[in-house]
Amino acid sequence: MIRHGLTPRQRNIGIAATLVASVVFILPFVFIFFMAAKTKREAALFLFTWPSEWQLWSNLTEVVVFRDYMLLLAYFNSIIITVGAVTLLVLFGAMVGYILQRRPSGWNKLIYAGVLVGLMVPPAIVPTIWVLQGLGLFKTISGMILIQVAYGLSFAILLFRSFIATIPRDLDEAAIIDGAKPLQIFLRVILPLLRPVTVTLIVVQSIFIFNDFTNPLYYLPGKENVTVQLTLFNFQSQFQSQFNLLFMNILLVTIPPLIVFVFFNRQIVAGMTAGAVKG
Amino acid sequence: MTDVALKSLTKSFGLVDVIKGVDLDIKSGEFCVFVGPSGCGKSTLLRIIAGLESATAGEIIIDGRDVSGAEPSERGIAMVFQSYALYPHLSVRDNIGFGLSLAKLPKAEIRTRVEAAAAILQLGPLLDRKPKALSGGQRQRVAIGRAMVRDPKVFLLDEPLSNLDAALRAQMRIELTDLHRRLGATMIYVTHDQVEAMTMADKIVVLNSGRIEQVGTPMELYNHPATPFVAGFIGSPKMNLFEGATAKAEGCTTYGIRPEHITLSRTGGKWQGTARHVEHLGADTIVYLKVEGMGELLARTTEDFPVAHGETLFASPIAGREFRFA
Ligand SMILES: Nc1ncnc2c1ncn2[C@@H]1O[C@H](COP(=O)(O)OP(=O)(O)OP(=O)(O)O)[C@@H](O)[C@H]1O
Ligand SMILES: [Mg+2]
Repeated sequence: MIRHGLTPRQRNIGIAATLVASVVFILPFVFIFFMAAKTKREAALFLFTWPSEWQLWSNLTEVVVFRDYMLLLAYFNSIIITVGAVTLLVLFGAMVGYILQRRPSGWNKLIYAGVLVGLMVPPAIVPTIWVLQGLGLFKTISGMILIQVAYGLSFAILLFRSFIATIPRDLDEAAIIDGAKPLQIFLRVILPLLRPVTVTLIVVQSIFIFNDFTNPLYYLPGKENVTVQLTLFNFQSQFQSQFNLLFMNILLVTIPPLIVFVFFNRQIVAGMTAGAVKG
Repeated sequence: MTDVALKSLTKSFGLVDVIKGVDLDIKSGEFCVFVGPSGCGKSTLLRIIAGLESATAGEIIIDGRDVSGAEPSERGIAMVFQSYALYPHLSVRDNIGFGLSLAKLPKAEIRTRVEAAAAILQLGPLLDRKPKALSGGQRQRVAIGRAMVRDPKVFLLDEPLSNLDAALRAQMRIELTDLHRRLGATMIYVTHDQVEAMTMADKIVVLNSGRIEQVGTPMELYNHPATPFVAGFIGSPKMNLFEGATAKAEGCTTYGIRPEHITLSRTGGKWQGTARHVEHLGADTIVYLKVEGMGELLARTTEDFPVAHGETLFASPIAGREFRFA
């Protein structure tokens, strides 16, 4: 007999899991939202209560215009860094992964060693800053992009390499017979097939880079270089007595990664199931 | 006129010699089949002709031009892979037209050429589907279509039918032969199935561990096999081959007789044996005789001569149909 639906036991476990998840994930978010909507005085009480007076819009404008529209500059910087770094990560990760997987050579061992070192050895901050200063990239957005690429590249290479191993080599050879040059094989045959893993990488890395706090703190000091996570740090002292504004700021910083995740979540799943390459 | 010529071609992977000196002429418009057991180097030889693998030594001449150093796309060949190797992210139309679009042909011309090929292969209604949504036989046709639009001098096919079921395979054999007649192009076809070789080939090349064993038309190989290997490989059921005492008694080192060239009798004959196993194929019956001091002997009879399991029978070779290999 085929049973439809869940047993009572399964259902209870399901309800319990949902409750735990909502407590852990949703309640804090609701708390942030309420705080961001309160008045200065009410927020100072720090209670989980319905706002008696909704001030969402005025709080929002106040945070945005604060310190010469610093938040907008921060958004701009963060988006440039995220988009630039993720683009380079996908491009280089896929290219290096492709060559490593498809063209075995004596160099491969050395390259693998480098990749593993990149994955395992924790970066040393001060020497990295020396290098950046030597290259004239310290306190620049492009320097920050390169730092993020360097931190993420090993993982990207390994991810792409193992995915490319599942793409039959016959496809490359069919393209060679069709007259494709190596770069054309990569761009027109391999890269489109990497879509599922590319989407995964984009989501994971863009959320990580956008939310990164410590690396911009070390490598990207300076008012004009502020990133969204650093606005919290910069505003903290001023907002000490204005928790409604601090929480509005937190809300604004949290929303973009959330949108990315909700939007791409479907794509990840769709990409995974449509990723069957063989046959 | 010779279309493809191989001159003392060799190929080694490291220390392993896979192709050990191959000389071959294939005439223009011929359907040439490479046949041999698994691992004998058929695919490697085909890939060397295609340019996907470089030869260790020797020359490859296609259409009078030495192409040994040329890129695969400059050799005037097209290849059909055993796995079909269709681009999964492209529609049937774009799969077939991929090579033409790389060659930067005008869109309108690509369209007409793709549609002409699709019409021949009855792919018209499928042009906008992805390979995922096609059956095995349809994918096979797309792979052939992709080869056809390039208008190659030589088609290279590596076991193109081995992923299909038996009925479809028989149908595709006929379709491929028709297509060959229609296009008039040279085709080199790799298979390990001697039935495909016998039914489709103008010329069969039997390969054995990296060497050519014999070249000839299907009937030449059937009637005049040069070696015991060819004799055992061509024809179904397999030829009976005997070495040792039996062969010595016949004055040779290997003695061969085909199952269809043995007559069975209940009264008397050259060899006496018991029917260990009887296979009814419908029109034919294959009898596995256990002959004392000789071993197993296969014989083919028809339903006119019914044989029961365990029966004692006499078998005799038809005169002039025996093979004695020195
Ligand atoms: N890249 C390679 N490196 C080392 N050895 C190889 C390589 N490719 C093929 N070989 C060897 O060369 C021999 C011939 O291989 P090939 O694929 O040509 O056989 P085949 O006749 O096509 O067999 P099948 O009928 O199973 O396809 C095999 O022993 C195989 O192990
Ligand atoms: Mg093979």
